[in-house]
Amino acid sequence: MIQEGTMSEVRLEVKNLCKSFGITKAVKNVSFNINKGEVHALIGENGSGKSTLTNMLTGIYSIDSGIFVLDGEEIHPKNQVDANNHGVSIIVQELGTLSGLTVAENIFLGHEERFVKCGIKNTKQMIKEANELLHSYGFDRIKAQRMIDDYNFEDRKLVEIVKATYFDPKIVVIDETTTALSQEGRNELYKVMDKIREKGNTIIFISHDLQEILDRSDTITILRDGVYIDTVKSKDVSEEDLKRLMVGREVTGDYYRSDYGSKVSDEVVLSAKDVSVPGLLNKLDFELHKGEILGFGGLSESGMHEVGKAIFGASYDRTGSVKLSDGTEINDIPTAIQHSIAYTSKDRDNESVVLNQSIMDNICLPSLDELADKRHMLSDKKLRDFADKFAKDMSVKMVNVDQFVSDLSGGNKQKVVLARWIGKDSDIVVLDSPTRGIDIKVKQDIYQLMDRMRKSGKSIIMISEELMELIGMCDRIIIMKDGMINGQIERSETLDENNLITMMV
Amino acid sequence: MVAVSKTEMTAAKEKKTGNLSMISAVKTYLPIVGLIIVFLVFNVLTNFRMVKNMPLVLSQVYVTMIATTGVFFIMTMGGLDFSQGSILGIASIVVCMVSRINIPLSIICGILTGALIGAFNGYFYVYRKIKSFIVTICTMFLFRGFIKYLTTNAPVAGSAALINFDKTELKVALTLLVLVTGFVLFRFTKFGTYLKAIGAGEKAAMFSGIRTDKMKFWVYVLSGAITGFAAFINVIKVGSVTSSGGSQLETQILIALVLGGMPISGGAKVRFENIIVGSLLYIVLNSGLTMMGFSTQMMQLIQGIVFLVFVAVFADRKSLQVIK
Repeated sequence: MIQEGTMSEVRLEVKNLCKSFGITKAVKNVSFNINKGEVHALIGENGSGKSTLTNMLTGIYSIDSGIFVLDGEEIHPKNQVDANNHGVSIIVQELGTLSGLTVAENIFLGHEERFVKCGIKNTKQMIKEANELLHSYGFDRIKAQRMIDDYNFEDRKLVEIVKATYFDPKIVVIDETTTALSQEGRNELYKVMDKIREKGNTIIFISHDLQEILDRSDTITILRDGVYIDTVKSKDVSEEDLKRLMVGREVTGDYYRSDYGSKVSDEVVLSAKDVSVPGLLNKLDFELHKGEILGFGGLSESGMHEVGKAIFGASYDRTGSVKLSDGTEINDIPTAIQHSIAYTSKDRDNESVVLNQSIMDNICLPSLDELADKRHMLSDKKLRDFADKFAKDMSVKMVNVDQFVSDLSGGNKQKVVLARWIGKDSDIVVLDSPTRGIDIKVKQDIYQLMDRMRKSGKSIIMISEELMELIGMCDRIIIMKDGMINGQIERSETLDENNLITMMV
Repeated sequence: MVAVSKTEMTAAKEKKTGNLSMISAVKTYLPIVGLIIVFLVFNVLTNFRMVKNMPLVLSQVYVTMIATTGVFFIMTMGGLDFSQGSILGIASIVVCMVSRINIPLSIICGILTGALIGAFNGYFYVYRKIKSFIVTICTMFLFRGFIKYLTTNAPVAGSAALINFDKTELKVALTLLVLVTGFVLFRFTKFGTYLKAIGAGEKAAMFSGIRTDKMKFWVYVLSGAITGFAAFINVIKVGSVTSSGGSQLETQILIALVLGGMPISGGAKVRFENIIVGSLLYIVLNSGLTMMGFSTQMMQLIQGIVFLVFVAVFADRKSLQVIK
């Protein structure tokens, strides 16, 4: 609890809040206060109830019991627009813009009545005001009259930031937004955060990046398994303290891999030649060795995310060749999978898992051919055992394998994805942003898993926007810029982020 | 079809979880309980005439049930098919014509005709990327036109020998053959799992190594072929095809599947039992109303209401935006 005698005024009181999903209790009797003019971070592992709590505050979820008191007044937001009217807004973790609408329509979604006269919407006025807003945020390259679909993930996030903050809300919830952004995008967001704070408004900030939390927040509240643990001042704690509070015990052991100078095999398992994808990649050449972790870094738009798709045969109009050591050319996904290539996408919910399907089916899907008997028959028991084994190996938090993947938290979804490819026993694993939106405990699990896979002779391509994990995990890092390779760095103890950043921009 | 933002989706999901167990229980048992109740009620109301006339009642179910199997596969992967009635009509005409030459050959020709129209649907749906319900509504009219043209002067009559095949045992056996094959394929091979994955999330299914386009195309071909096969049973029952031959089959199938508890958007929650329970429920309802002496208009009205109630119960609102 915030100590008595603090000077700041309370903006929001959270009182005895509870929320259950079926049998899962996501938030258990949580109470704490949030002050005016502060950046208040909420941290906790996946499934600790951070997003559930803020989703209740912003009217996305209904409240089971307990109340929110905003500036002395009890509020019960029924939906996001209602929450906005109370002065509460949210920037969500995944994409929160609606495709098929213009940028302006997205910004003023739910508040169109401002532009309506005699039942007719003044589109011109709306676009004009939206452009003025974008200009005031310094996002001039985004044009309000264009369709939102014309912009990439990052720019859409910026539009969401405008949408959530232009009306000077009393509280802005920023839920795990920074992981989706590149460094420039983050800087834009930090600027907006500073402005909000200067005006005396409050930010509830959710992030898994503890360094970022310490840098950017004033106060930190820790949740664990839906239970309130503590509220601390950022200046009083270290990253280690936070980890301990989140996990409930000391985090021991290596976070990244600890070896340096180990020799990577000369055996080439995959080679890419002249790989181009119109508008995204331009004549890429590289080789992947056995037992190697090859990193791809760069700015979000450098084309690095397309590299994974290109190798997996999932790019449209790819030219050039991706060849395995035995000469097999990889041109489509089924061939890639048959030849032991695995891929986890950055867009986890659409490309990595089939959301509205059971954990069992998700894990078994690529391995059905191996699981079938000689007459191509599948037995339920065999599938269940298979899924159960690998889900448990990855310690997926679940009721059983019949549970739908849509019910799982981000980190658990990623574990299901990994379980599927480990079950398939793939030799070449392409991981695009494997730890995006995932808490430290699961991150550590994933890093250790990668290290084990590397040691057992599997080759890994790791594409990531987090430079620290590239430096920590990779034998070699390729830095991309404008769809081309801009540099390559070998693993070394002395490497730091600045070495990479200079090559990125 | 309609883009729904992430937050709205989670909100919808969250509202559902509240009384999830009750809703899922209702969803599981409503079709079978409904079938039993409807059956009992009609029997009581008609002094057990329905039981006495069971063969007659059932004689209407074979064609629907067989054709429903194919459409079940299509709907599992999130597609729709409104051209089934026209497929049955054309295939029946082909069966009638060829049966005058050779009866076994006529069965094969019926299947081929159905498969061809299915391929036509599949081509425009998959490779020209037109929504399946639009494509199949177009082909429904297109081939209905053909049927009308071919039957302008007189109904197309089949060989007189066809009547020898009109035996309940044969029809039951053929229906069972299709159902059992379909069940084994769907339940115990990767075919079923792949279809469900496509229905639940096509992009993710593609990234799991499923050749989704190829699969979608061939399922339309398969469904056409199955209905082409049903044409033979249709022909041995009626002997000739008129301009309305096969019409309304698509609605019957759709109603049967929904009555059987099939979520209209397909995906992971479909069950093969949907076909059997649904077709039976539809036929019992239909015959019951006829036996009660309702007028056709009145029957359609009642069917409409029942259909709406079932759709309301079984629609998987989480995935409604993915109907293709």
